[in-house]
Amino acid sequence: MKRLRTNLLLPAALAAACMLSAAPAMSEDSVSLPNLSYRTGPFAATGIPLMNGQRDYMTMLNERDGGVNGVKLGYEECETGYSTEKGVECYEKTKATGIITQPWSTGITLQVLPKSNVDKIPILAPGYGFSPMADGKVFHWAFNMPASYWDGASMILKNISDGNLDNLKGKKIVLLHLDHPYGKEPIPLLEVLAEKHGFTLLPIPVGLKEMQNQSAQWLQIRREKPDFVVMWGWGAMNAGALTEAAKTKFPMDKFVGIWWSGHDGDMASVGEAGKGYRSISWSVPVSDSPVMQDIKKYVLDPKKTEIGEGEFDWVFYQRGVLISMFTVEGIKAAQEHFDTKVVTAEQLRWGLENLKIDDAKLAEIGMTGMIAPFSTSCANHAGHAGGWMLEWDGAKFVKVSDLLQADESVIEPLVEAEAKKYAEANAPWPINEDCKM
Amino acid sequence: MDFLNSVFVKPFADMVAAPDFLLQVLWEGLVAGVLYALIALGFVLIYKSSRIFNFAQGIMVVFAALTLVGLHEKGVPALLALPLTLLVMYLLAVAVERVVLRPLINQPDMILFMATIGITLFLIGFGEIIFGGENKVMITEALYIPTGSFEFEPFGGFLLIEQKDLTAVVGAGVLVAVLLLFLNKSRIGRAIRALGDDHQAALSVGISLSTIWVIVWFIAGVIALATGIVWGARAGVSFALEVIAYKALPVLMLGGLESVTGAIVGGLAIGILEKLFEIYWGQPLLGGNTESWFAFVLALIVLLFRPQGLFGERIIERV
Repeated sequence: MKRLRTNLLLPAALAAACMLSAAPAMSEDSVSLPNLSYRTGPFAATGIPLMNGQRDYMTMLNERDGGVNGVKLGYEECETGYSTEKGVECYEKTKATGIITQPWSTGITLQVLPKSNVDKIPILAPGYGFSPMADGKVFHWAFNMPASYWDGASMILKNISDGNLDNLKGKKIVLLHLDHPYGKEPIPLLEVLAEKHGFTLLPIPVGLKEMQNQSAQWLQIRREKPDFVVMWGWGAMNAGALTEAAKTKFPMDKFVGIWWSGHDGDMASVGEAGKGYRSISWSVPVSDSPVMQDIKKYVLDPKKTEIGEGEFDWVFYQRGVLISMFTVEGIKAAQEHFDTKVVTAEQLRWGLENLKIDDAKLAEIGMTGMIAPFSTSCANHAGHAGGWMLEWDGAKFVKVSDLLQADESVIEPLVEAEAKKYAEANAPWPINEDCKM
Repeated sequence: MDFLNSVFVKPFADMVAAPDFLLQVLWEGLVAGVLYALIALGFVLIYKSSRIFNFAQGIMVVFAALTLVGLHEKGVPALLALPLTLLVMYLLAVAVERVVLRPLINQPDMILFMATIGITLFLIGFGEIIFGGENKVMITEALYIPTGSFEFEPFGGFLLIEQKDLTAVVGAGVLVAVLLLFLNKSRIGRAIRALGDDHQAALSVGISLSTIWVIVWFIAGVIALATGIVWGARAGVSFALEVIAYKALPVLMLGGLESVTGAIVGGLAIGILEKLFEIYWGQPLLGGNTESWFAFVLALIVLLFRPQGLFGERIIERV
């Protein structure tokens, strides 16, 4: 009944309230911030805490501060179910009023990417999407801060090689990945690194229908006897892989995942058996941080929204909070630069391109320790923030490494080359070589 | 020459060189095959009795598993949650018959098929409202399903058999045997088969269509619950479970839509063959993930020679 109230009555009441009160205010003192969310479908378990975190940060700012500098944050979700077709529909539906779009899947991002040049709407794909989007000269409207998948892959290899990739010489690394554009993202960088440092890379794809039964993939892992397994999994694939790893007695300390493979909700079904599994993460949950306590005080305690039991402490919920912070800080930067209250999509693009998330800023917004400092620029839309290794202790993820940094000397030329290749394949594609915009 | 060697010689040499590994592959294939057969049976039973291809079978797996876990989360003991879930599946069968099927009697097959898509969409939305979309943990231990493993050393190698997989195989086997007994020996079972053979003739001898539909949809619900428990124990219970129903489609193409034997043989054959192909040919030669298409290609080849499937009934229509 409580669930019925949360999922049916609350949104209905909110929708009715929005229709009655928000419409006239929207044009005056609010901004529309659409999010192409996925709370339904096969990946819903991953999407729900991320969307909840994003929504609750915006709600907290609206409740505590009346928005940002007097401008209400109109957070709106359009449900895609993680389907690329529905995602494109949602983009088309929201682009007229929205000043940003969040595609939430590499598939949708790739579809929306060419449209953003025409529609002039910034795409925010934090820690996902197409890695070469980091090149802001080519992808004016796309942002994948605070780190790209290639940054994540580089940090993982740095960690498992004890800081020196030459230690991987002669070793065999399996990339267990979802057979989807997202899962294939790290392959170009890993191939370059494998050749440079002399390790063997063996990609093993997992089909969407095989996510829950990966016995064939883990039989191959048993046969190949790799030194490490790196996972690019999503949703049920993560729990499926960890179940098989535990079953086949693969050593968990040799098993590392990207940041989307480190979800408390996925790990629940693995429990103690997943102890020692690690995941690289650009975010760390800090439940007693001022921002999280404010969310509790202004949003959760007064029951403005409801979340699942224990979700408040989850990596993904708090990552959602950080993702909304990027948008909000972009708006603040644009407001200050353009000396305006209600920013446009073009102004927000400038704001996102000029983010300065340093220690002082993190302290000011109550997020110290939740994310590493980073900044963006015209040429750098990824920020290339560092990350930490989080380890599953049987009940929750805990930070077990110092801050790791990606090796940009390898990533940058690859980003440049792949971005150029993309632009040529999609010619005529506008390139802002001198960063004039 | 290298290519011919890697297709015709090396896979078999690998099998001989590591027989323990081959046994592990065969065991994993058997486990998958039993589960495919189970899902396929759900489709076959409904098709046999009503000529409806039940698109909702996949979501019924999710719905049944979520109901079981959801009831347990509310404090209902697992052994009570199980019959209560069966009751929910029975009520669902009654609702489907009353609300969806009964008004559509005598409508073309395509209309009934579309109606099952409607049931799917309804159950997705209804399930998400009631249970939410979060991943849930299957109550394996509360249901007294053993979670350890047996380890053997055949041919000096290593073979691991998980007790829950063994339970799944035995449980599915018992369920299939009971179903076969029910279909072949009981009055209702004979009525279901009679409806499958000829609707009009069955109706003319007093078989109640609505009662039979409720029964077959309920049996499909029982199968969905069994499938949900087994698959849910592997990677949690979420809406992602729905996609496993699509694994049954090639089984149906291979075995025939109206054959119980076809569903069982087809499921086992696909489970074992797709695993063997993936390990010995797919991964070394094609980069892996051949399981997503192998079964369909196999079914296609069978359909070229036997359009009704291996065990399907040959349909001859006079024009």
